[in-house]
Amino acid sequence: MNKITIALVGQPNVGKSHLANAISGSNLKIGNFAGVTVEKATAKLRTEDYAIELIDLPGLYSLEDFSADEKVTKEFLVKGDYDLIVNVLDSTNLERNLMLTTELLELNKKIVLALNMDDEALKEGIAINAEAMSKILSVPCIRVSSKTKFNVETLVDTIITVHEKALAPSKLIYGSEVEDQLQTITRFLEDKHFHIEGLSYRQIAVGLLWQKREIYAIVHDHPLYVELQPILNNALGHVYMYCQCDEIDEVIHRQHAAFAKGLCTEVLSVSKIKAQSITQKIDAVLIHKFLGLPIFIFLMWALFQLTFTLGEIPMGWIEDGFGWLGETIGETIDNEALKSLIVDGIIAGVGSVLMFLPNIIILFLGIALLETTGYMSRAAFLLDGFFHKFGLHGKSFVPLVTGFGCSVPAYMAARTLKNKKDRLLTMFIIGFMSCGARLPVYVLFAGAFFEEDVAGNVLFAIYIFGAILGLIAAKILRVTAFKGEDEPFVMEMPKYRLPSLKLLWFMVYSKSVLYLKKAGTFILLASMLIWFISSYPKNDLIEEAYGAKIEALQATQETAATEQEASVASKEDSAQAQEATPNDGKVASAETDKEAPATEQEEAKEGTSVEDQIAALENEKHEKIMEQTYLGMAGKAVEPFFAPLGFDWKMGVATLSGLAAKEVIVSTLGVLYALGDEVNEEDASLRDIIKENISFASAMAFIVFVMVYLPCLAATAVFYKEAESIKHTVLLVLFTFATAWILAFITYRVLLLVS
Amino acid sequence: MVDLSQIDKNQRALIKNISAQHGLKKRLQSLGLNVGQEVQVVETSLQKNTIKIALGFSSVALRLDEAKAVEVELAS
Ligand SMILES: Nc1nc2c(ncn2[C@@H]2O[C@H](COP(=O)(O)OP(=O)(O)OP(=O)(O)O)[C@@H](O)[C@H]2O)c(=O)[nH]1
Ligand SMILES: [Mg+2]
Repeated sequence: MNKITIALVGQPNVGKSHLANAISGSNLKIGNFAGVTVEKATAKLRTEDYAIELIDLPGLYSLEDFSADEKVTKEFLVKGDYDLIVNVLDSTNLERNLMLTTELLELNKKIVLALNMDDEALKEGIAINAEAMSKILSVPCIRVSSKTKFNVETLVDTIITVHEKALAPSKLIYGSEVEDQLQTITRFLEDKHFHIEGLSYRQIAVGLLWQKREIYAIVHDHPLYVELQPILNNALGHVYMYCQCDEIDEVIHRQHAAFAKGLCTEVLSVSKIKAQSITQKIDAVLIHKFLGLPIFIFLMWALFQLTFTLGEIPMGWIEDGFGWLGETIGETIDNEALKSLIVDGIIAGVGSVLMFLPNIIILFLGIALLETTGYMSRAAFLLDGFFHKFGLHGKSFVPLVTGFGCSVPAYMAARTLKNKKDRLLTMFIIGFMSCGARLPVYVLFAGAFFEEDVAGNVLFAIYIFGAILGLIAAKILRVTAFKGEDEPFVMEMPKYRLPSLKLLWFMVYSKSVLYLKKAGTFILLASMLIWFISSYPKNDLIEEAYGAKIEALQATQETAATEQEASVASKEDSAQAQEATPNDGKVASAETDKEAPATEQEEAKEGTSVEDQIAALENEKHEKIMEQTYLGMAGKAVEPFFAPLGFDWKMGVATLSGLAAKEVIVSTLGVLYALGDEVNEEDASLRDIIKENISFASAMAFIVFVMVYLPCLAATAVFYKEAESIKHTVLLVLFTFATAWILAFITYRVLLLVS
Repeated sequence: MVDLSQIDKNQRALIKNISAQHGLKKRLQSLGLNVGQEVQVVETSLQKNTIKIALGFSSVALRLDEAKAVEVELAS
């Protein structure tokens, strides 16, 4: 089986990835803005005789100036191992697309031109005579549409034909004066029989006249160079004079522009000008001077509102489903330890994460719409002025929004920023854009501590607050660590496109599958691990001690009235620690002193019911037992670090476990509170348990901490890879932790003061 | 001398020259801002920090600073 490797090259947003998908049925990422693909990706296809490998590359406007993503393409074109180039062009913007084509034609590789978006071109009344174009260029040009799959098979056939034939030089013709000079040089090379492997005389001549480094490197060491130099100087002099310009780059650019223009007049005919006007009309509203920003903010608000309220409905079902599952399975298992592992470990942990799938789906649908309609670059346009004030670049918007989904692709998306400092700065604050994995924490806490009708607003506020913190952090970093010049902001605004339902469905579906997979593997293991280290070692002494106490209480139940005092006293002996009654569980350790009087009052009231006391003792027992487990001991060890923020040790542990992946925070809370809360298990939801055990101030501090602290380890690893610097990675870790701690501290203290 | 930052909304103009350092010039050119090209400012942001221009078959957003680098001549 023969193999053909194809490099898909073209300007940004012309549909390279879409075409690769159309050809091979792969699922590369597609979006309607420049810079969707930032890393090369492979799609594979088998025909009868060939195994075809399509290398999808980041788009680039020209081969010369580049940002990090464009560098990937340039490097692959120069050093990569491929058999031919498929240059993808946007038929609706032919002339500008041809500018890149002219540069590619000079590379002297086998090449096929795919005139993509034929469906759009037809609608807009743009007709391209592909046969004429093929003749003029001596390169096959095929009209295709990735969307309708028109001509896709023909394209594949053409690729194979071109691959099988020997390389035929393309006909790129320059202005007559330049051609004259090229001929002089070519004749000289012919006379001297000067060969360079794989290049024709004309190509060497072009390389010399355009002062291409690669060609010079070869020619320069040759004795012939002595004779060649005056001829070249002469030729260049003529060209400069003719073009009235003495910069070779500018000369080349003008030659290419003239060629592209000339070609267009021959092959392109436009019968009506319509499509632009639709986009302009929509833009007149969406990026309107006064309306633009309010509309943007409204759309974001609506998204988070929907995320909460719409997600709420199936969430209830899922939670009930898992509750039922836990009970049903629990009943069939006799072994206590196994039952606890499955019910309190696996079902509580995985269930608490899966419960948020509906919210995640809505959020990702919103992001998918932003990516595929073309609104992304409009938002960047609207926010550029604002961002600029904070030392950020309008283009930073794309990685930042990607960050609302997941930090890993967001770090990669920062490649589209040309300036290294802008790029690093953007990467530093991507973490402030709360990723999808943090959404469960927010939904859980917003639902627990706020009324249902404002919880959506709270969710929106959390995201906005995170983003604002990010901007402030950017400003601080800009004037300290990343001082530097402003990078110009120049960005193409694609036309609006209606994404196909299939594409949207797929984007959301693949994200959801990923989430489910994570829940089924990583979260499952983490939940089991957390369950194990929070259940062992078992401590029989505590069990017995409390067992005895409870029995004693039960025995005295009939004569309760007289014996109350005593039992309260004995309880205080054994547990001077913080959580005395379920209600007091809210009081975090640091606050024990302050609220002590309240505790006594409550106890006095509760003294009336022996049952309550027994329940309290049960809870206390669980609490004590858990504190003696591995996790409890670890939690106690980190408690001092988190105590000033009002976190109990469980929250501390959950925070740290979130370093593995942010979803783990919720699953850990799920397991810990499921284990510790067996007493009032009568279908209390995790939300209720949280509400009962955590004070408002602590909860808000927790949200703030989760909002800011380090993205998960996987993301940090990607950060390191993209930033290529240990120093910056360490800085990121310290910066995020310090900021998170300080902000959480402030939140906690302020809320304590006002409440 | 008029540059792109000075022309009114919806006024048509022809690009005469681009005077910017190499990198920016290349970028502007590769986005289609060539000498002789007709352009039109179609939208401006609130404080006119950023403008959207239409040229040929595409639209480009740029800041006022960058627009200053593009010399134009008003078209009738
Ligand atoms: N109507 C129509 N739209 C298309 C066609 N091909 C691509 N698109 C749309 O054009 C946009 C860009 O497609 P991509 O495949 O992401 O473009 P790309 O060239 O890979 O872009 P970068 O990776 O950013 O360089 C998407 O919104 C596609 O849905 C086509 O043949 N017809
Ligand atoms: Mg792509």
